[in-house]
Amino acid sequence: MEKLGVGIGWRPEIDLTVERLPGVDFVEVVAENLHVGHLPESVLLLRERGVPVLPHAVSLSLGGAEPVDAQRVAHLGALAEALDAPLVSDHVCFVRAGGLDSGHLMPLPRTRDALDVLVANVKAAQQDLPVPLALENVAALLDWPDGELTEGQFLAELVDRTDCHLLVDVANLYANARNLGTDVARFLDEIPLERLAYVHVAGGEEHQGVYHDTHAHAVLPEVLDVLAQLRARVDPPGVLLERDDDYPADAELAGELAAIRAVLG
Amino acid sequence: MVTQWTPTSAGSAGSTPEPWPKPEEQAFLVGGPGRAAEVAVVSLVEAGMLRISREGHVSAVGRPGHGWSPLQAHVLRSVPRTLGELVTATAGSDEAQWLRRHLIDRGLVTSPERRRAVRRLRLLVLGAAAAAVIAMFALALPLQVGFGAVIGWAVCSAVLGRLARPLTRRGRDEVVRLKGIALPRNRIALVACFGLLGRFGGTRVTDVLGIAPAARERLQRRTRASRSDGSASCGGGCGSCSSSSCGGGSSANGGSDSGGSSCGGGGGCGGGGGGE
Repeated sequence: MEKLGVGIGWRPEIDLTVERLPGVDFVEVVAENLHVGHLPESVLLLRERGVPVLPHAVSLSLGGAEPVDAQRVAHLGALAEALDAPLVSDHVCFVRAGGLDSGHLMPLPRTRDALDVLVANVKAAQQDLPVPLALENVAALLDWPDGELTEGQFLAELVDRTDCHLLVDVANLYANARNLGTDVARFLDEIPLERLAYVHVAGGEEHQGVYHDTHAHAVLPEVLDVLAQLRARVDPPGVLLERDDDYPADAELAGELAAIRAVLG
Repeated sequence: MVTQWTPTSAGSAGSTPEPWPKPEEQAFLVGGPGRAAEVAVVSLVEAGMLRISREGHVSAVGRPGHGWSPLQAHVLRSVPRTLGELVTATAGSDEAQWLRRHLIDRGLVTSPERRRAVRRLRLLVLGAAAAAVIAMFALALPLQVGFGAVIGWAVCSAVLGRLARPLTRRGRDEVVRLKGIALPRNRIALVACFGLLGRFGGTRVTDVLGIAPAARERLQRRTRASRSDGSASCGGGCGSCSSSSCGGGSSANGGSDSGGSSCGGGGGCGGGGGGE
């Protein structure tokens, strides 16, 4: 995987901030929020500067029982081509079923049947995508019963059967460790880190005993500790800070990027 | 982009008392509530409390603190919004009306009641002069009667016009004072004087501030004819416009109150009008 460096999620509210922050090596855009024929001036400017822009999808619902929506895949692919992106990504989850959209990234049952469905959908999407696909672990508030695989095993088998890349969200991993008891070290040992595309880092907060991956709060030191554990195993091609609401001052975002760089060494 | 911290213009609770009138008040004198709204927005951006995106989307930075002016507090409660919507909504807010009343109470702005009364008086004088001229012809009165009536009308009109000016002498003095400090290094004063759609020395104010062209286009230029209250006093007439469109009005320094074109002091800051 090509080296990406340290980046930040581009959002329209902080477009100028992202443009000005020093040392932003790459950015990620939410694919569903962009139109291929009308890309934001800020995104085009970043591309002109040579900053890689990676489309990140949230709606393919690759773990859903229904076939993948070809139009959504086509949009993602067109966006990748328009941005000359080296890869695209989405999540290991489902977001809709029976014609209803959950509005959330719903975790999958970690069964072999569910894995078969996911693999089929991922392969279908890959056929129509012009660039490699990376898949991200999600933060879950529940574990489906009768799981046959750990999360790490589930992802490892997914990679093995589809040749997809991994986008490891250490904040999601931390959330699952806090809320579901996921073993961080075991997760990191089980996933094929050689297929790591890049890493997400984000902030969150605990509310009534449950940790929420809000993307609207500062990054906790504990999340950076998870990043450090990952770094101890592999030099990640890229690490990206996600912030989706309650955007802080430029200096605070710069500080979080600096903290990430410090962990990477 | 405006990101610098400028404590003297930020309006935040500092240890040193702010000069009076404050930038929002000066802005109101020059360009009405629209201009005051622009100053409130820009001062919050300067204070690091707001950010304006390339596309003109205004959003809060962190959590609102205390010590903001009523107009600034309204702005902070109103985001996220586009720049144009934010200025329009703030200009039309109760807080902007309160600011106007405050300036009237402080003797800087002429009250609308007084301006209306003077306008009525001017009409009466005009009617009397017209009646005298008609009577002169109808009753074959001496020509001096007509001349006297016209001269009397002209003198009364000039005197009454001064009384009906949107700004009081003190208000006009403040506008002149603002002109002296409206420089690129004093960004808040620059906005107060020229408005976000204005220019300073051929350079757009938005360029001085680092606001992107797309964000600038979010501001709504409002023509005088479209104002909701064309007869309002200085400031009141600008309504929710983005202020510099109202700037060239008749009058902070000008002579007469020509039909209530309000927002007067634009001329005091070098024209203001049109924002170009």
